[in-house]
Amino acid sequence: MATQESARPGPRFAWLATRTAKWSVGILIAIPFLLILNDVRIELVSPGTGLGPDPGEELVERLGDWSIRFLYLTLLVSSAARLLKIPVLVQHRRTVGLWAFFYIVLHLAAYFSALAGFDFNVLLADFEKRPYITFGICGLALLIPLAITSTRGWQRRLKANWKRLHRIVYIAAILALVHLWMQEKASYFDTFLYGSILGLLFVERIVDALMKMRRRSVRAARESKTDSRQGETE
Amino acid sequence: MLIKVRTRNEVKSSEITPEAVYGSRRKFIGQSSAAVVVGAAAAPALALPTGWVEEQGFKEGEPIGEKITPEEYAIRYNNFYEFGTGKDDPFRKAKQMTTDPWTIEIGGQVAKPGKVAIEDLLKGVGLEERIYRLRCVEAWSMVIPWIGVPIKAILDKYEPLGSAKYVKFTTLYRPSEMPGIRSVFSSVEFPYVEGLRLDEAYHPLAIFAVGMYGKILPNQNGAPFRLVVPWKYGFKSIKSIVKIELTERQPRTTWNRSAPHEYGFYANVNPKVNHPRWSQAKERRLPATLFGSKIDTLMFNGYDEVASLYEGMNLKRKY
Repeated sequence: MATQESARPGPRFAWLATRTAKWSVGILIAIPFLLILNDVRIELVSPGTGLGPDPGEELVERLGDWSIRFLYLTLLVSSAARLLKIPVLVQHRRTVGLWAFFYIVLHLAAYFSALAGFDFNVLLADFEKRPYITFGICGLALLIPLAITSTRGWQRRLKANWKRLHRIVYIAAILALVHLWMQEKASYFDTFLYGSILGLLFVERIVDALMKMRRRSVRAARESKTDSRQGETE
Repeated sequence: MLIKVRTRNEVKSSEITPEAVYGSRRKFIGQSSAAVVVGAAAAPALALPTGWVEEQGFKEGEPIGEKITPEEYAIRYNNFYEFGTGKDDPFRKAKQMTTDPWTIEIGGQVAKPGKVAIEDLLKGVGLEERIYRLRCVEAWSMVIPWIGVPIKAILDKYEPLGSAKYVKFTTLYRPSEMPGIRSVFSSVEFPYVEGLRLDEAYHPLAIFAVGMYGKILPNQNGAPFRLVVPWKYGFKSIKSIVKIELTERQPRTTWNRSAPHEYGFYANVNPKVNHPRWSQAKERRLPATLFGSKIDTLMFNGYDEVASLYEGMNLKRKY
């Protein structure tokens, strides 16, 4: 009995492992934010040193970079869990997704404060006149219901609809790419990079869906074969 | 107004100093000493040696009542896409650009076309310092003390013909030293081309710059020879010029070709004509503070004396 217990970790051990994993991921994931926060602190203490000569632009850009990185990382978590066959990875998807949402909110907040000068009219005019901002803000708006319903309670309440609702993230991911692409001036490197990543994430999902469909049809075929065989014997 | 005129050396040090000694003092301005040590072996030569501007002397510029942007920002925050699209790419990568020898080809509608070494082109010209606002189309601005000569003083040497209506300028195209050109992701066509109407080029405010902050131009700022047209957006002030052509027809300029609805041929600073992706009504004077307020952008960047060049023109359409 004793050997069997040590071979398989007991419930207390599993709890500890999950906690450790969650905390490590939580700390690791916060590092870029803490670095930005530190640069903002330096910038506020001695202007020009933390974020360079054009700090507003720099802050908005950096937050934007991390927004799209975390948004795509959220999608990567599901893919990685499937490809590497480590289903527990999905436990961390909510954390990554909420960080992505947090970065996007900060990205807009930085734009509004540092570049639009806290002027709602400027923001409104930008939303109306400048398509890349329209797409960006729409992407953020689409993610609000997802952030709200990210809790386990909502997951339970919405049941199968939760999965359907959270497919909106794909639209947001495409809008983020369009938002980036429309601002490219002289180099399409970033668009190419993030576009390829998003493309691969979509391919993985399509392949996964096709494989599931095949498995299902194979199973159905096998079942119908046994049915017909049963018919023959009868 | 006190204007100090420095004495001008008749003989350049490059003409009296032995080659080896002369070469050994070719250092780059604005780099850390560590970078100089690291890059020493591979450091390309400079057409205009360090100290050339000081030796040549220049008429000091009049202060404009606005704070001059600290040099460290002007040499580290640049757009020079031949070296990459990041603001610090030119500072980090332009070192590899060889500027010695540097010849400039002058052709098109001129009576005396030809190729000339930069040293010869600048022989005997009187350098002047001009403290100008530089307004980038990206809505930031700086105040920079340039050192150069009026464009007319240079062009006149080649005797433009009556048929010449425009001037076309071309930047150096050297992929081996310009990583930005080699990038497969670039949507901009190189070599970089800019242009002015001849009467714009002849305006006394328009200069060819060879120096800034009392020294020769650092590579990232367009060494050894660039344009400065203070009433136009910064991208008009083309860097590291190797070719000047006088033309009858309006030249096709790089940004105008790349995105004609965003960048016009004229590109005069105009707070009333917005860039499709941002407003041009205000600008961030660099170095800016994080939540600091912006300043109003002025028509022609505050250089009202050029307004007569555009009389009768609809500047909303000819942006």
